[in-house]
Amino acid sequence: MLNKFIIVGLALPALLLPGACLAYILFKGLPALSWSFLFSATEGTGFGATSGILAQLLGSLLLALAAILLATPFALGTALYYRLYASKRQQGLLAGLLNMLQSIPPIVFGLFGLIVFVHLLQWGVSLLSGAVILAMVIMPMLVLNSIASLERVPEQYTEAAQSLGLHHSAVIGRVWLVQAWPGILTGQLLGIARALSETAPILFTATVFSGVVWPESIFSPVTTLQTHIFYLAQEGSNQQVIQVAWGSAVVLLGVVAGFALLARCLSNRYEKTQRLGVE
Amino acid sequence: MRHRLFIILSFLFVLVPTVLATDQVRVAGSTTVLPIVAEAAKHYRKLHPGLSLTVSGGGSGVGVASIDQGLIEIGMASRDLTTTEKQRLQGKVRQVAIARDAVAVAVSKAVFDAGVTQLSLAQIAAIYRGEIKNWQQLGGPDRRILVIDKEASRGTRHVFAKVVLGSERARAAGATIITGSNNEEQAAIANSDKAIGMLSHAWLNDAVRAVAVGEANEAVLPTFENVANGRYPIQRQLNLLVSEKSSEIGNTFIDFLLSSKGQQLVQQVGYLPVR
Amino acid sequence: MLRFWLTFSALTTALVIATLLGFLLQASWPLLQSQGLSFVTEPEWYPYEALYGLLPVLVGSFWSIVLALLLAVPTGLAAAILCAELLPGRGRAVLRFSMELMAGIPSVVYGLLGLWLLLPLLESQFDLLTGRSLLAAGLLLALMILPTIMVFSETAIRAVVAEQRQTAMLLGLDWPTRLLRVLLPQAWPGIRIAILLALGRAMGETVAVMLVVGSLDRLPQPLYNLLQPAQTLTSRIGREMAEAAVGSVHWAALIASGLTLALVAMALSLLIQRWR
Repeated sequence: MLNKFIIVGLALPALLLPGACLAYILFKGLPALSWSFLFSATEGTGFGATSGILAQLLGSLLLALAAILLATPFALGTALYYRLYASKRQQGLLAGLLNMLQSIPPIVFGLFGLIVFVHLLQWGVSLLSGAVILAMVIMPMLVLNSIASLERVPEQYTEAAQSLGLHHSAVIGRVWLVQAWPGILTGQLLGIARALSETAPILFTATVFSGVVWPESIFSPVTTLQTHIFYLAQEGSNQQVIQVAWGSAVVLLGVVAGFALLARCLSNRYEKTQRLGVE
Repeated sequence: MRHRLFIILSFLFVLVPTVLATDQVRVAGSTTVLPIVAEAAKHYRKLHPGLSLTVSGGGSGVGVASIDQGLIEIGMASRDLTTTEKQRLQGKVRQVAIARDAVAVAVSKAVFDAGVTQLSLAQIAAIYRGEIKNWQQLGGPDRRILVIDKEASRGTRHVFAKVVLGSERARAAGATIITGSNNEEQAAIANSDKAIGMLSHAWLNDAVRAVAVGEANEAVLPTFENVANGRYPIQRQLNLLVSEKSSEIGNTFIDFLLSSKGQQLVQQVGYLPVR
Repeated sequence: MLRFWLTFSALTTALVIATLLGFLLQASWPLLQSQGLSFVTEPEWYPYEALYGLLPVLVGSFWSIVLALLLAVPTGLAAAILCAELLPGRGRAVLRFSMELMAGIPSVVYGLLGLWLLLPLLESQFDLLTGRSLLAAGLLLALMILPTIMVFSETAIRAVVAEQRQTAMLLGLDWPTRLLRVLLPQAWPGIRIAILLALGRAMGETVAVMLVVGSLDRLPQPLYNLLQPAQTLTSRIGREMAEAAVGSVHWAALIASGLTLALVAMALSLLIQRWR
């Protein structure tokens, strides 16, 4: 079966590389992990020799959560509009626009945010600017996911609710959201995971190198894991700093994977219930 | 229900920091000046616990642009303002020198150990213009020269280009790669066995060595004395750009840097005090 | 009341693109005013001499993306075929899950891998002056888009209806023929989309590329030389974003670069939607 060998041969890099990379990252980064590494915010001397990444961890989480909070109302609203009021034509248009938005590279959103939020609105380099930019980046994904979740609610439920004379808002609140919330929440968790991995758009619009442990207000900048790793990547000779960089990478990976796995567990658990629920 | 709980909890988590900003000092700019400011900030925060003092890099260009746009209170620049910048910032910003520094012409350890310990300004210029391509032509090993240039807006580059190439805006046609911060450049030189680059002398270490600059018998190393007595040609003042409307706390931070304790920190980090 | 809020949300979402393009266009205006569209084909970028050419980065981006696709598509496709057709259930789930996990690795971590693992490797293997090059960028991008190609192609292949496979088998076709003549042609629309999505991701990748490409704003000599440092569109924007004085022509040129990137990405997206 020569052909099978060819296929397996070609596929080998795809099978081996990802695992190898992951293993390498863990190998380099795990030694750096310790209680004080994760949960203190002390700064060492010199460039980047911070010995604790708590500030960065908090910053990343804050930005991601803020982005989700800003994006969710609009995402849900748009998805509900799509299901409830949009005509076929409007649905097509909306879907098209969302797909186009989704394809725009995040750095362009960063540029946009720089022009409008940082300079025009004078918000400066701040948590708010970063959160809005990230919200724009993850919004299409949230909307499309919410629409898909809503569409999975069986027609019979909607028909039954409407035949009972329930108002639109009741149909939504009591039937749709109650049924679709696992799917929607899954989407949000994935959105958080996505927001945690974006670096370029927040580099010059929301983050600084040091000086912030907990932002004083939404108008103050933050430090994040992603940008911290970026700064440290420019270090080449100080072994301790390189160690910190790998450690931060492992932590970031862990957090992102954590949210992704949570989303997966959620969708697995509730998909079965939903399927069983349909007679 | 659980969904709503999640939303409420996140809301609280995010809204907690929504107290309006008090006094904040935002500093950004040159990566050469950054270690001084970062170190001083650590000490300064102990004296003023409630203060919010953030530090960021990006290069002298970022420092100038940011203070021009009012994004920060203090800009860091490892060079003097250009004439166009002075015009634009006239009356809005003043320049305060807090340290002195030499721009070392750094080579990889392997090159230094092989005998290239001194280069004249003309030779360096020829390397950066692409006229000399192999270390052999300079008495070194038979390897091509990895010419490391910096982003055009970096202060270190301005100073280097002015002295070596004649103008701060001069192009380096022989450049192989372009790096950004001092760190990146240091890493690139350290990881190679044939590189040459421009670095603030505080970044020199065992793997990154400075060559003496000048003609064969009067070449000068970038040491503290040679900067102090002016013999080393490629040197500069490290400046802070302060907005005229700066708050009290910003000005006191600068006073701290210029005080004896501050200047002690400057020397600790590896630079020369301003006086 | 409800209707108002829902319509408002939908309208906001719909207008984001228009607002985005509008502001980008407005901020690029100084450049367009002084140089028109000639900056697209100008071969040099040196802001201090008012040269704002896009050509070096267009060529750089082009090569890095093409290289990434050339490397990732055959491998990803082969892995997808393997996963969909040849692996037992357990193995398939494991492989697919690990690929999905890989797809979520932040790009800055790939940057670390590229900088500290890939570059020294390239320097020693190819005896290069420096490992920073379009080759490095292409390899890194290939690694990053591999999961995308694999996951989406696998879905497409598995979606080929059971009937078609059964019919092919009943016809006595052997496996290679089944694969090449039935499965792949049927799955091709889905695979095509997988490739385009991967292309989109490669095009927009900033941080990882910025660290390994060398950032030299020059056309490769000769044009197909991948072993030299160069610059891509995203890398240039990332590096100079914060430095340009707002309102200057330099600023406008950077925004124009971003606008170009956005327009190409949207065109790609339209293509994908048409082909769905």
